[in-house]
Amino acid sequence: MTDRQKKIRNFSIIAHIDHGKSTLADRIIEATHGVERREMEEQLLDDMDLERERGITIKARAVRLEHVAEDGERYVFNLIDTPGHVDFNYEVSRSLYACEGALLVVDATQGIEAQTLANAYLAVDADLELVPVVNKIDLPSAEVDRVRAEIEDVIGIPAEGCPAVSAKTGQNIPDVLLAIVDDIPAPDGDEDAPLSCLIFDSYYNAYLGVVVYVRVMNGTLRAGERIRMMSSGVEFDVVEVGYMRPLGLDKADCLSAGDVGYITASIKNVSDTKIGDTVTHADRPAAEPLPGFKEALPMVFAGIYPADGARYNDLRDALEKLRLNDAALSFVPETSVALGFGFRCGFLGLLHMEVIEERLEREFNLDLITTAPSVIYEVDVRGGERVRVDNPSNYPPPEVIERAYEPVVKASIITPTDYIGGIMELCTDRRGTFHDMKYIDTSRVELHYTLPLNEIIYDFFDALKSRSRGYASLDYESDGYVESKLCKLDFLLNGDIVDALTFIVHEEKAYARARKIAQRLKDNIPRQLFEIPIQAAVGSRIIARETVKALRKDVLAKCYGGDITRKKKLLEKQKEGKKKMRKLGTVEVSPEAFMAVLRLDDDN
Amino acid sequence: MQLNRRQSKRLGIYIHIPFCRQKCAYCDFYSYPPHDERIYESYVDAVISHMKSYKSVGADYSPDTVYIGGGTPTCLPPEEMLRLIRGIRSSFRIQKDAEFSMECNPATVDYDTLRRYRRAGVNRLSIGMQSSNEGELRALGRIHTLREVRDTVRAAREAKFTNINLDLMYGIPYQTMQSWDETLHRAVALKPEHISLYNLKLEEGTPLYKNASNYVFPDDETEFAMYTRAISYLASCGYRQYEISNFARPGYECRHNLKYWKCEEYLGFGPSAHSYFADVRFSFKKSVSNYIKSVRGVTNDEMTDDYEQIPLRERVGEYIMLRMRLCEGIDPREFFRTFGKDFESLFGSKLMRYVKGGFVDVSNGTYRFTPSGMFVSNYILSDVLDFDADGNFVI
Repeated sequence: MTDRQKKIRNFSIIAHIDHGKSTLADRIIEATHGVERREMEEQLLDDMDLERERGITIKARAVRLEHVAEDGERYVFNLIDTPGHVDFNYEVSRSLYACEGALLVVDATQGIEAQTLANAYLAVDADLELVPVVNKIDLPSAEVDRVRAEIEDVIGIPAEGCPAVSAKTGQNIPDVLLAIVDDIPAPDGDEDAPLSCLIFDSYYNAYLGVVVYVRVMNGTLRAGERIRMMSSGVEFDVVEVGYMRPLGLDKADCLSAGDVGYITASIKNVSDTKIGDTVTHADRPAAEPLPGFKEALPMVFAGIYPADGARYNDLRDALEKLRLNDAALSFVPETSVALGFGFRCGFLGLLHMEVIEERLEREFNLDLITTAPSVIYEVDVRGGERVRVDNPSNYPPPEVIERAYEPVVKASIITPTDYIGGIMELCTDRRGTFHDMKYIDTSRVELHYTLPLNEIIYDFFDALKSRSRGYASLDYESDGYVESKLCKLDFLLNGDIVDALTFIVHEEKAYARARKIAQRLKDNIPRQLFEIPIQAAVGSRIIARETVKALRKDVLAKCYGGDITRKKKLLEKQKEGKKKMRKLGTVEVSPEAFMAVLRLDDDN
Repeated sequence: MQLNRRQSKRLGIYIHIPFCRQKCAYCDFYSYPPHDERIYESYVDAVISHMKSYKSVGADYSPDTVYIGGGTPTCLPPEEMLRLIRGIRSSFRIQKDAEFSMECNPATVDYDTLRRYRRAGVNRLSIGMQSSNEGELRALGRIHTLREVRDTVRAAREAKFTNINLDLMYGIPYQTMQSWDETLHRAVALKPEHISLYNLKLEEGTPLYKNASNYVFPDDETEFAMYTRAISYLASCGYRQYEISNFARPGYECRHNLKYWKCEEYLGFGPSAHSYFADVRFSFKKSVSNYIKSVRGVTNDEMTDDYEQIPLRERVGEYIMLRMRLCEGIDPREFFRTFGKDFESLFGSKLMRYVKGGFVDVSNGTYRFTPSGMFVSNYILSDVLDFDADGNFVI
């Protein structure tokens, strides 16, 4: 280990959502004078509006800080912030691999939650030194000692005397800085060995091209050198290397083993800089790529359509812009009879999907119609071929299906014991397979289930929260495919199938879903001049029906006293509403009504 | 003389009386019970001087209809009303055979007053009966009873009114087919020359709107049944429907209201009154005090509220919107004579699905709503007519 390396500390902060991860990061940045107080914005690392509003971190961030310790030595802190949500588990794991240690933040009033555990396991898997930090000690209900004991019992790391802080008020933050210096190991790695850098994040900048965030494991990288991405073999000439400062990029001569920094190389496309990939020199490559690289695979799919069909091209441009910064987002054009031209989009999970939808609407000012989220089903069709289905309306007809498979996840749910009954009932209702239940302490348990992913994406999280008054927490990871009895549920309006309303459901769920969606269609389709039959069908079998009665009357403006303008405005308003209508077959439905039908807001 | 008469164009005059004794629960017209009765005199002064300022109009126009509406015009003390009527006559050359209507509420006029108004030239009385059912009248916040309706009609007949209208309402809280039938029977028994049927609409800001959740309203199917029942029953009693909401014995159609639907010219006086004159639609702000001050020239406050030039293509749209309210509908030949455009090539294909659906009838070459079409006329008109970004018709 070189003297330079001895003064570097590379670490992450991991926590359950809302336990104060980003606030602690702000305090550390402040305490190391990384940012002048007046420049300090709340949650500096979360620079998307959406992240600040929701208090979540969507993309990983990194920042280099300098800290003068009590002994007068100057240390480099590379703080790598990680996303806290299960959708981004892979990104978290890559960020962790870039570090030697992690601060495990636990809320002194809540104790350990599902994501605390999941992230702690990821950190242990990555061989990190864990430094527990108990946060929110300023709250009256803080139980510092109980939470310390819980950390020792459940995670099995010493926590006695660990920093107990209030990131909000700044209380005891120096203890954290001390623990970083003392407890987190310095990086090693050979500065002269062949180059290997781990990519843990990247984003597109209009002036620099893709900015790649890396941790140098071995070797030294300088501007002007030719690099190769080991997964794809694509090569680039490095334009610039440097460090990430809290308020911008800071050019440097080189990045060496142990450093965290950025590379620019006139890279046009973030998909060339896959997270987890290894960067090496083209002329003297590393023998092996760093372990653990995976392609980020979308798990959840939905059709996204512009509410105004004329804005199809705007939607395409917007998706392309977002993909510049989000290699996990996939989209291909698709056509729906009901919704016109749009895109079948793939997401890492529901949160990722929501984030993309919100960004399309806010940053690109688009009104969207989004179909119900679906997963990829696999079907063995007669003749031995296996097909993957990411759009329910492409699901093969029952007569050609030999076997069908659906993706499942291993789920871990932590809940106060009071809610075990309701949660087990929910999991059973969602076709879960129970594995075991472990007591974390006398009042909380961890439940393990295998659950179909399509049940998780159908409002599972909200149902879980409502059955536990918000106390239960969930984490899950993909666990392959299992054979399943699935069927395709179609909805017909006026006798025509509405492709955008097709679902794949488990046989047992077909009736309940059919009745519910039919009822919602009835409640949300505005009356029209003719009666509209609504039918739910599995194959040719109708399993539920409703009717939207014909419109009998509308407002007969009096035209009293010759107020013609008012009448005209009324007609114009009505016309305006009609323009936004989408034709589902012969039936006109507003985008709002369509979305209301697919609204996921209650159990089952 | 001959030449003069030919030059005189027809005109409707509307006078708004923005006062009432008590605001009805459903009413969103500009009207209120005044707390100081001296307002009547200054208001009538203002309307008269406002009309005088239009005196030059008299050179080209000779009004053939006058309509005093409200509010409750009969709230005005008789002396003030008579002064107003004299003011109208001295401001405009009212035609001899003009239709001169006044709205009134039962229990606000007696025989003597009606007799004086009739002598002053009022020849059509429109009485707000609304319902014959006490409970329904209470829900509407009406201050009268069925007995008072009968008394008013009797007094009007004695006062030599030979053209009486009764306003009725359907869609009232708690109203049933049975009570509606009863109201229709009782109205017909009073032998009015004209009957208007209004479908109660909940207007935002009214007490009825605010308290709507406390009431049970007839559903759309029932209201439609009430409407069709009324059409056939009134037809059997000799009342011909000539507009969505209006029925009359032959020859007693309201000439003033027909001006609205036939895009003819009218001038309105008073706050909230609307005018269509010289291709401009305009209205006055809903404030009595602003109106009085503006007319007196005390302030420079603009009293005009909406002001809109109506170019040709707007007239086409308005023509369709308004003509289709009439049972005579649109005659493509007349449309061509008026606008030089072919109605059928413009709208024929759009209307065809409604013809097939039984909402529009073209059996004698004119396009007319059937009763079920009238009841969904907004739906159909908003489909058939197109608007530009500024809300103007596009033809």
